[in-house]
Parts: sequence; C-alpha cells; structure tokens
Amino acid sequence: MRLQIDERRCKGCNLCTLVCPYRIFKPGKRANRRGIVVPELDRPERCANCRLRHLYGRTLCGTCQMICPDQAISWKEDEEPVPKKVAIEY
Amino acid sequence: MSEEDWLRQDRLPHIFCAGCGNGTVINCTLSAVEQIGWKRQETVFVSGIGCSSRAPGYISTDSLHTTHGRALAFATGIKLANPQLNIVVFTGDGDLAAIGGNHFIHACRRNIDLTVVCLNNMIYGMTGGQGSPTTPMGGLSTTTPYGSGEPAFDLCGLATAAGANYVARWTSYHVRELTRAILTGLENPGFSFIESLVQCPTNYGRRNRFKQVADQIEYFKSHTILVEKAARMKEKGEMIPPEMILAGEFVRRNRPALGVRP
Repeated sequence: MRLQIDERRCKGCNLCTLVCPYRIFKPGKRANRRGIVVPELDRPERCANCRLRHLYGRTLCGTCQMICPDQAISWKEDEEPVPKKVAIEY
Repeated sequence: MSEEDWLRQDRLPHIFCAGCGNGTVINCTLSAVEQIGWKRQETVFVSGIGCSSRAPGYISTDSLHTTHGRALAFATGIKLANPQLNIVVFTGDGDLAAIGGNHFIHACRRNIDLTVVCLNNMIYGMTGGQGSPTTPMGGLSTTTPYGSGEPAFDLCGLATAAGANYVARWTSYHVRELTRAILTGLENPGFSFIESLVQCPTNYGRRNRFKQVADQIEYFKSHTILVEKAARMKEKGEMIPPEMILAGEFVRRNRPALGVRP
C-alpha cells in the first residue's frame, strides 16, 4: 500500500500534519499550480496502514484520512512488478 | 464498497473553506454508514440550509435539500411515508437551534427513527459570521462585536430533556469517537442526536484568536472533558472550569419510537 495526497482535492489546511503519530506529513514549501501549498510526505513507507493492512485485513490507523476535510488522503495498492523478458544476446 | 464510493466524485473538491470541519464529519458519517452496511438505494440524507447542509450534495444517494430549519419536518415526512428508508439528517446549529428549534424539540418528543448529525460551528458561517444561539459566551462575531453576552444553547441537554433516545457530543478532532457515536446512533431505534463541534476557520476562528486551523483543533483537544469524568469530579466536589466542553454519550435509552420498522 502506498499513501498519497490528491493534489486536486487538497486545500492545504495542514490538519494531517497535526494528527499523524509518525509525523509523516510535513507542511509543504512550494505552492502548486492552483496556489495551494500541499503537505509533503516524509518517508511514507513508515505508515502503519501501508505496512500492516494486508496482514490484519482492516484499516489500522487511518486518522489522517478521517480528519482530512477534503477527502484528499487515500491509500493505493502497489502494482505487482511485472517480470520483463529480457533477451540476452551473447 | 468503501467510503469513497459514497462520494459524488464529479462534485469534488467541495466548496467548504480550507480547513472546514464539515468534511471531517462527512467522512465520519460515511464511515459509520459503511460499517452498518446500509444500501445506497435505501438511504436518504436530508439537510436544511447552511454550510453543513451542503453535505448531502456530495453524497451519491437520494438527498433532500430543504428549507431553512425544516430538515427534521421533511425527514419526518419521509420516514412516515416509507418506514423502509434509513434517514440521516445533516443540520447546522443555526438551522437546528435557531430557526428549527421547535421542530427539533418535537422530533425529540415524538422520538422518530432518525439520526441527526448536528455540525455545530458556533456561528452562521455561510451568511458572513453572524452570532448564532450556540456562540459561546464572549465569542466574537459580526453581530456580537464586543463578545456574545448570552449563554450558549446546550443542544444535548435540550435533546435529553425533550426525550431523544440517544444523545452524544464529540468534536471534529475526535474522529474515531465520533464515528463510533454515529454508528451507535444509526443502530439505535428512535431519535438519535449526535452533536459535533466543528471548526470554522474563516468566520469563527479568525475572529476568536484561532489564526490557524490547527489552533481551533488544539482547543477542542485540550478543552473537552468526558461526561463520566465530569460526573466523577462533581461527586468529589471539584469545580469543572466553565469553558470546558462536555463530550461523550449523554443518554442511551429505549423509549417507544415512531416509525420503527416492524
């Protein structure tokens, strides 16, 4: 699982920076094209829900998603790496 | 299904201001509705007029956006016409406490099988920040520029006295507890009233020394006290500071309810 912020929905209120127990969300520095400073993710692989959701079969923490007033935070399934066929030429 | 499927994707992002707590309460309500497993065809969201009442417009079920203060009257009509439907009412403090106060009391008295989520932002947000009946003592607004001189309305106390079956109060900081309270309210037959204090950074916060959105959330975090703890403090004879907000489950009982499915 991978944590992601939808930049089209985020309005930059920084509530997620307040609630995350791992402090994954950091206040952003640069405004995007719409003039909104979207928070940045600091090592999002630490997120408990990303790591352990499949093991437990339920959403584990999810407070950032719940408190986000703009429904901008979600988790995305990692794509399975597709093995590529490589022709080896000698 | 997940909560995301309940949202009208084409309507997002919504028009609420940056940091408005209404979106948080929508998340919590949809999470509770998702957990109880209601079908989309059998669920109706009703609302009146105000910021909070725009919420059903972003939810992909049947919804009714009614006249100011009359959301409960319309919801009563839906419930009595078709008791098979599950009804959730979103309403604001101005909608419920000021103009729809009488509908609220009588809905509690009749104990209709509804779930009412009151998004109390302590001000009339949409019309420019006029003081509402729930503006706390000393709160600044455009109509109370020297601080509100009237005591605020205790909606949970009113609902308890008027006879609602389930009454709880949480804030938009307590997302887990709020979700659990709404879920209990949905499961409980009869009138369930869940008041949620939400931040209004644009009209309430910036006039009342909450410059950032997080400031008001921090205030909710530090100034709420559980009902049980308040009762224990009262037993011991300790003083509860007057600015503290009581949070938790106020009442859960089984009075005979109207419109419950046979």
